[in-house]
Amino acid sequence: MGDSQYSFSLTTFSPSGKLVQIEHALTAVGSGQTSLGIKASNGVVIATEKKLPSILVDEESTVTNVNLMSLLQVQKIQHLTPNIGVVYSGMGPDFRVLVRKSRKQAEQYNRLYKEPIPVTQLVRETATVMQEFTQSGGVRPFGVSLLVAGYDDKGPQLYQVDPSGSYFSWKASAMGKNVSNAKTFLEKRYTEDMELDDAIHTAILTLKEGFEGEISSKNIEIGKIGADKVFRVLTPAEIDDYLAEVE
Amino acid sequence: MSQSGVDVPPKGGFSFDLCKRNDMLIQKGLKAPSFLKTGTTIVGLIFKDGVILGADTRATEGPIVADKNCEKIHYMAPNIYCCGAGTAADTEAVTDMVSSQLRLHRYQTGRDSRVITALTLLKKHLFSYQGHVSAALVLGGVDITGPHLHTIYPHGSTDTLPFATMGSGSLAAMSVFEAKYKEGLTRDEGIKLVAEAICSGIFNDLGSGSNVDICVITKGHKEYLRNYMEPNPRTYVSSKGYSFTKKTEVLRTKITPLMERVEITEVGEAMEE
Repeated sequence: MGDSQYSFSLTTFSPSGKLVQIEHALTAVGSGQTSLGIKASNGVVIATEKKLPSILVDEESTVTNVNLMSLLQVQKIQHLTPNIGVVYSGMGPDFRVLVRKSRKQAEQYNRLYKEPIPVTQLVRETATVMQEFTQSGGVRPFGVSLLVAGYDDKGPQLYQVDPSGSYFSWKASAMGKNVSNAKTFLEKRYTEDMELDDAIHTAILTLKEGFEGEISSKNIEIGKIGADKVFRVLTPAEIDDYLAEVE
Repeated sequence: MSQSGVDVPPKGGFSFDLCKRNDMLIQKGLKAPSFLKTGTTIVGLIFKDGVILGADTRATEGPIVADKNCEKIHYMAPNIYCCGAGTAADTEAVTDMVSSQLRLHRYQTGRDSRVITALTLLKKHLFSYQGHVSAALVLGGVDITGPHLHTIYPHGSTDTLPFATMGSGSLAAMSVFEAKYKEGLTRDEGIKLVAEAICSGIFNDLGSGSNVDICVITKGHKEYLRNYMEPNPRTYVSSKGYSFTKKTEVLRTKITPLMERVEITEVGEAMEE
């Protein structure tokens, strides 16, 4: 990592013991669009706002494999493996790079052990990559926090990974612009025995709380994984159904 | 650009250092171990709705049959399969590696894999190893552009064909194809022809034998018919089993009990955590 002239790290300690670059990275995350995740008893749901910067942005794309990507150009929720999905708050391009690295790591694990990578392992390896960028020459930390949702032998799991490389397992979490309101809302609404559909409704309500403007299937994205262990991004039609139920 | 004195390892490429050592050892009279080869008859043909691949199931180590029922049709993608002849480890490793690369590529592009992608990845790899990776492959599949069938040689050259055979039994199988192949075969006709070609290899080539595996790939659907035909069933000598009347004589009995002769003395301090 880093060219010869930049063999020193740009992330250095301040006298108070903080890594200022990481604090700034967290600020970048905090000004990103809200995203949240909820772990239900039989699955996990992750959701995010998707506000395009202007109405002139061309949404459609020509991608054909609906299982892996939606028909829209900008998709924020991505697959890492067939049974692990991820969403972010912060800088989109940094997210793209991380997703690419994580997919490769998951695939390498699969090659070696001939089994799908457990969620915790993938989270740990991704977190390791993020930490490396806080201690290497000539690079800056990633400006994203990730919410990783997966279902493996240990059941449904939800992890948050921060720019520092620290990760936590959450029952429900939120990040981005509206984090404090969203977390308070989730604390009130979360129950241990929630089912996946309830969790999706709660996720939509939480997003609605801090939403500027009219919430619709065009400006939010929802991804879910159930006991079938297949992560799926909901189509706009399915989101419309859930929105109608919530009204 | 100045390097800060750190030793950078050479990037990429095959390291030929050990080849010099091997040559030296052979000169001194050492016999190199023989590879586990898949003697093999592998075939593929394009029929009306897609591609049919076939393979025998014998793996040989010189004159010995090492595996009577191995799998030579390898998974590359949900719509692409690859038969492998040559050194078993090479075909396994190279198809596994490219299958992995194809999966990452599918995530990256959001599209189903194309046969020509698998072809390019395989030939790039094989060419870069200059034929030392001894894998001769028959690659077939159906993608958005239609059904495709290719052969790939160990040195990295490829052919695109309507019907193809590879391996030591390829001549026997090809004779069947050349006589009976025609365009627009139906699924059953195609399977029958492939099975006939493999059987021709099984019975006429020493390096091929045992059973016939078949894989049928059509648009959006695949059928892996493992052991589709078993023309070489094992016949056992006696179903009752064996009985040995004359028992082994016991000449002498000596029992030596194994006792622990370890003394434990505590010296020094316990290790700190």
